[in-house]
Order: sequence, then structure tokens, then C-alpha cells
Amino acid sequence: MAKLVLSAGGTVVHQCFVDQLRVTIGRDSNNQIVIEDPTVSRVHAAILQVGNDHIVEDLSSAAGTFVNGERIPRRILQHGDVMDFGTHILRYLNPKAEESELDRTMLIRALPKIPDQASQPLAATVGDAQVNTARATKVHLPSGRVKALAGARSGTQIELDRVVAILGTPDEQLAVITRRPQGYFITHVEGASYPQVNGILLDKEAHPLRTGDVIEVADEKLEFWQD
Amino acid sequence: MMQDFLEISGLTDVGKVRQFNEDQIGIDAETGTVLVADGMGGHHAGEVASRMATDMIMADLHARIDQLGPGAGSITPLYAADQAIKRANRAVFAASQTQTAYHGMGTTLALAIFHDNNVVLAHVGDSRIYRLRGNVLQLLTRDDSMLRDQVDLGFISAADASESHNRSLVTRAIGAAENVKVHLRDERVLPGDIFLVCSDGLTDIVEERDIELILSSLRTNLPLACLHLIQTAKDNGGYDNVSAILVRVLERFPAGQRSRFLAWLRSLFN
Repeated sequence: MAKLVLSAGGTVVHQCFVDQLRVTIGRDSNNQIVIEDPTVSRVHAAILQVGNDHIVEDLSSAAGTFVNGERIPRRILQHGDVMDFGTHILRYLNPKAEESELDRTMLIRALPKIPDQASQPLAATVGDAQVNTARATKVHLPSGRVKALAGARSGTQIELDRVVAILGTPDEQLAVITRRPQGYFITHVEGASYPQVNGILLDKEAHPLRTGDVIEVADEKLEFWQD
Repeated sequence: MMQDFLEISGLTDVGKVRQFNEDQIGIDAETGTVLVADGMGGHHAGEVASRMATDMIMADLHARIDQLGPGAGSITPLYAADQAIKRANRAVFAASQTQTAYHGMGTTLALAIFHDNNVVLAHVGDSRIYRLRGNVLQLLTRDDSMLRDQVDLGFISAADASESHNRSLVTRAIGAAENVKVHLRDERVLPGDIFLVCSDGLTDIVEERDIELILSSLRTNLPLACLHLIQTAKDNGGYDNVSAILVRVLERFPAGQRSRFLAWLRSLFN
């Protein structure tokens, strides 16, 4: 269960579990977390529980609500987050939220007031204000590029900074360079004949690339480079 | 039949953390039906729920193949999908009620049936269906999830959704209750369209812009595109089971063509 620890001048003055759907923070004595500080509003902020999330929300306070030094109207709290209220610090602790058990799909009662939207119009296209549900990954990816030695793009350098990059000519011969944590790989995509690396024909499998490798695909000849 | 108009490729993978694969995929090239189910529940129950639903729905739709489509029978594919899913729901729910080991099991579902230059899309839970048209990826389903509700109700911004701990909480599932409401729609398809039916093991961990790039780059090699989707999910951590089915529309598949073929086929037996 999530915990809130209030401290002032390095001393813990109060701590409690977040066991209510809504916990308010402020100067008034009827808040769940009372902060006796003149710069804190009477009802300053609230922490709402939504599913596995705790969301801190500023309640139009005069001084504002800060999470990790940033003024926010509303923020999903993460384990270890620090909120500033005048001279006081409120720390949010929820180590369980870090566990992978949360990845297991579970059923929960829906939030109220969600209409059935089976016939709603299509969602926006990628890049618009679509819900970004993919989590931020902590994967370290290599950085590399190819330099075109011959072909339509001769003399240009192509950064390999996305998950895949296509080389060659559609309908004729295409190869894909895939960026993975363990390095870059090249694979044949389409065409009757296969691309070459250092003069050797690829087969159907992905082939690892090393700095200095020369790739020939359709009319392109490219040199691979990895930092 | 439908295999002349569609190219289909699908993969499911346990991922890098889980011990079992509770995802299930179904592909029926003959009827032009594909589905992904992501099971939930203790021990092997999730696996049981997703398999039960998949097997039942696929068999049900296959048995109705000659009833689908105008002129061929009396039911629409949309209705057939709804009925098949509801039958599966009752069966999974009944099993979860009568056997202790299966108590609380359920499954998400995303289903696509291609017919008459259209596709019926059906889903429950947070498994998704996307379409790549040209080079633009579009999400065609709305998750039944706490995360999605949170955003729609304004609790959090769409941009902050990736910070949420609610990504695996679904608000609707097959087998969770006696009745289930299915999201259904019927969409026009165009030659060249690529449909992606997938579990949240993909979309939780691979950004949509990367999915879009993989599909548009590898559109001429669907098995390779599928492999890349799964591989990227695993490279990014592979915390969950991951499933993806790709369907490319090769050419128009007018109803008449199928109906005529079926009429001819039936005439052989009459």
C-alpha cells in the first residue's frame, strides 16, 4: 500500500497510508494531511486513487503544487516522488508499483460515466493527441549510420536512429537494417536476389553488422558505421 | 476463397519474463477470420480462458462460413461475430463458476472477419486492432481499460498515460460475467490495407510510431514484419506475452465472387 511521509527540516512529522480514494492536503485541520504553514492554502491539493494510480492534483492553491521541483496542475505519482508544500516535504512511497506483477492483466470495475463508445469515430492518427500508453523503456540502443558510397543517395549519410531502416528499391530488392540492444542486423526483405555484405550474399536470416561492412542492395552500395 | 484476397501472418510469444503464454491466436484463412485473445487468471486459468474462447469462436465462425455474406445466408458477419463471442463468454463464465481452479478467469479478445470488401472488427478488453493505410497507422479500437477511462475522464492527460500504473487493468473481459457487451464495427477495406490485431504485450511496450515504421517498411514481407513486432517487444523488455497477426488485403473481394463460388460448391452436393 502506498505511504505518504511528511517531513519538515529533515524530521518526519507525520506519516500515513493512502487508504482513501481522496486524501486532501492543506492548512485546515479537517484535511487528512494538515500542514501548518502560512504559505500552504487551506485546502491545497488532493491525492486521488484511480486503479493502481495515485494522482496528485493542485486545488487552485495560491503557492501551487510542486512534484520533484516542477509546478504541476496534476500528476501521476511515482514511487519516491517528492512534493513541496512551503517548508514541508511530502514523500510518496509505493514500492509495489515498481513490481512487474502490475503487468499481469486484471479485471477491474470501470470508472463511472463512460458511455459505450462502440460507434465513436475513429481515433486520431499516430502523432496526434492519441493516448500514449506505451511505457518508457529503459533499453540502451546502439547508435550507428550508413554512408552511401554509390547509388541514388551517393555521398549522403543515413542515421540509423529508428527501430528499422529500409535500403534498396521497392519491387526490385529491399533489405532492412534493424536496431537492437545487442547491435544492428541486416535482413533481406524482398526481391529474387539477395543483398550482399562484403561481397557475400545474405541468406534468409538476420546478419549482424560491424563497422566497416559494405552493403550492396539494388543499385546502392553503403558502408556501415557504429559508435 | 478468402485466401485469394488476403495474406495473413501471425505469431505469439511467451515474452522474456512470464513462464506461460496466456495469449492465444486464431487464424482461419478460408473464412478470412483472425483473432487474438489475452487470458487472465491464476495458474493456468488464463491460458484456459483464452484457448476456450479462441477455439469456440473460430469453430463457430467456420461452421457458418456459407451463411456469411449477402445472398449466401440470413445473418451478417457482424451478427455472427457478436453471437459467437457471446456464446464463448457464457462458456468461459460457466467454467469459471463451476471449477474452483478456474475461478476469476477471463480473456480479452480482438477479432477481425473480412467479407465483401469490408471487415468486421470486434473487441473486448485491451487487445487492439490497427490499420495501416498508405503509411499511416490508425487505431480502430478503444481499449476497455482503466488507463483509457482515466484519460477520457480527464484524470490524466493523454501525454501522461505512459506514466500510469493502470496499463494492465481491463474493465471488460470475456468470461467475467454472465453477459458481455462487445464493441463491434464494420469498416470498408481497400487493397493494400494492412490490419494488425495484437495483444497489449505489444502496444504496452512498443510505441505506435515504431509499429507504424515497421509495418510501412516491411509491408511486402508480412512474416518478417510480424517477427520484427515481436522482436521489438522482447528487445524492449518483453514483460508480457506478445501476439500479433497481420492481414494484408491483396485485392477486392466482392461478395458475388464468394457467393458464386459457394453456390457452385453447394451444387456439387445437391
